Amino acid sequence: MKSVSSLVVLATLCCIGLPALAQQAPPPAAEPGWAKGRPKTDTAMQMAPIPVFPIPTAPDKLPTSKFKLPPGFKVETWASGVLDARGLREGAKGNVFVSSLFVANKVYVIPEQGNHQAKVIIDKMPMATGIELHNGSLYVATNTKIMRYDNVEDRLDNLGEPKVLYDKLPGGNDHSWKYLRIHDNKLYFAIGAPCNICDPGPYAKIYRMNLDGTNIETIASGVRNTVGFDFDPKTGDLWFTDNGRDWFSEELPNDELNHVTKPGQEHFGFPFCHQGSIPDPEFGWGKSCDEYVKPAALLGPHAASLGLTFYRGKMFPAKYQGAMFIARHGPWNRTKKYADISVAWPDGKGGARIESFMTGFVENNSYLGRPVDFLVLKDGSLLVSDDHAGAIYRISYGQ
Amino acid sequence: MTRWAAGLVFLAVAVALALMVVSPQVGGQQDTPAAPAAGSGPTAAAKAPAAVVAAPAAGVTAPAATSYAQRFATLCAACHGVNGRMETPLTPVLAGQPSLYVITQLFLFREGRRSNEAMTAVAKTLTDDDLRGFSELIGALPPVPAPPPATPPDPIRMARGQALAEQYKCVFCHGAGLGGGQQVPCIGGQHEEYLQVSLRGFRSGSRPGYTQAMTAALSQIPPEDLDTLAYYAARFRGPAEALTGK
Repeated sequence: MKSVSSLVVLATLCCIGLPALAQQAPPPAAEPGWAKGRPKTDTAMQMAPIPVFPIPTAPDKLPTSKFKLPPGFKVETWASGVLDARGLREGAKGNVFVSSLFVANKVYVIPEQGNHQAKVIIDKMPMATGIELHNGSLYVATNTKIMRYDNVEDRLDNLGEPKVLYDKLPGGNDHSWKYLRIHDNKLYFAIGAPCNICDPGPYAKIYRMNLDGTNIETIASGVRNTVGFDFDPKTGDLWFTDNGRDWFSEELPNDELNHVTKPGQEHFGFPFCHQGSIPDPEFGWGKSCDEYVKPAALLGPHAASLGLTFYRGKMFPAKYQGAMFIARHGPWNRTKKYADISVAWPDGKGGARIESFMTGFVENNSYLGRPVDFLVLKDGSLLVSDDHAGAIYRISYGQ
Repeated sequence: MTRWAAGLVFLAVAVALALMVVSPQVGGQQDTPAAPAAGSGPTAAAKAPAAVVAAPAAGVTAPAATSYAQRFATLCAACHGVNGRMETPLTPVLAGQPSLYVITQLFLFREGRRSNEAMTAVAKTLTDDDLRGFSELIGALPPVPAPPPATPPDPIRMARGQALAEQYKCVFCHGAGLGGGQQVPCIGGQHEEYLQVSLRGFRSGSRPGYTQAMTAALSQIPPEDLDTLAYYAARFRGPAEALTGK
């Protein structure tokens, strides 16, 4: 309609050639998925995702000294110059693996011992974002396929060709990148909604498969985009962050922290209900939020809640053992920016209690850094990746 | 929401105006606002270089501000012109490009993703600090208006181009003034041949962008419409009063 009306305006302005023009006009280009539902106000029209800056922040410019943590904790720069650092996993032989998303197209390795220089082990692989280590193998998921590199820690100079486990992922751009976990010999991954808000069809689900790529099962439905999940070491239950829809308003809806109690049988609301309480203005008609599983906790509007890791170490005080660390990457489509590392504790009744843990990522409403994922090192300290600054920080407690 | 999709990202911020509004998103980056939209012509902002590079990283190798102006003169000016505009059809106009756009392209050349023999050769020699220094300098070059055309623009084709720019939502990201902003280039007054090759390259996938935005945006557009858009943008002289009300 919009293009029609502009053509009409145009026609009144220059009457020449209009009939031909109207006939030829192909359908308007589709809006990009992220822009679906964007209000046509000037403020909203100026908001769009901003890709990572192509150069990591220089070591002496990193925000490390500006971070604030609870008493007794300290944070240091563990690695710098790691462009687009996203996912973090560790092999049994002390190598930390780092994935990337849109800019670097790389997977790096950083030996825990030594000077923490990142070495590129996979290059020129777009959206090499989902990584997991298991029994000496590195699993890598892009938006189109899931691969396995065997015996990887002994072949860091040349990983060789991977075995392709699955190559039927739908690809695309919106929410198509992966986060991986292996639990009880099953590989868990999600396929995010291919849009801000739409009927997602077979998308918007968490799946799992056997480690050879067979027997795909649905674990959870109505999941818009989760890029952070982990299994409670006490109960074995899956917990995941989910990114709420955009453009509803500045303050709503919240991202969700969710708890899967009946794998395969639960629907978490997308696209019908947001944050367990708000029916979608379009897809919510004829639905009730009571039909869907409520979130265990709310994580803030447009927070971009990413990595989630249960703290399995012993270094941190007892309070944090068994708690979830959650990276709130921070909003792009909200006027006031915020980002932090939060901690969540299961309350034993299906819900969770949340506390902010580390702040200092935002200065003058601009990001200095943005946390993405975690890794608990063997000594119990916690690594945090920052794709914005291209760095990895190490959080420790006491001496 | 996540920081999405560079993938689809039609990046940012329409309108060059946004440059003034949106604060730099980049850690440690001193994002110097680019000059206003094409068509507004050189202004007092002009003698910029010295002022522009006011905040080089305090790092070890950050050279003095003026040296990037000197290096631009020796390394870039022969092809791109001392003021960032040369009337060579396939050599893009640099004057008026936002610094963030410039650094993404230098990065792509250096990484060998965007291929151009001359630019790749130059970019391979550049350090991270150089990428910053050159992009800040270039981002502050004032726009240089195109010379008067040999023949006046065809009004029918211009009207068609304007309609297509609305229809295909070019103005969403490039702005009503086609001046770009942040990672979105200024296309108003860019060379027609360069725009044509770029658009066709994005559509075919031979010209990679920093994000997938352009490839996604152009995939369904007939090549002849791309050529019309190139014709229109190259001859564009400031936002048309005609359609300002949409």
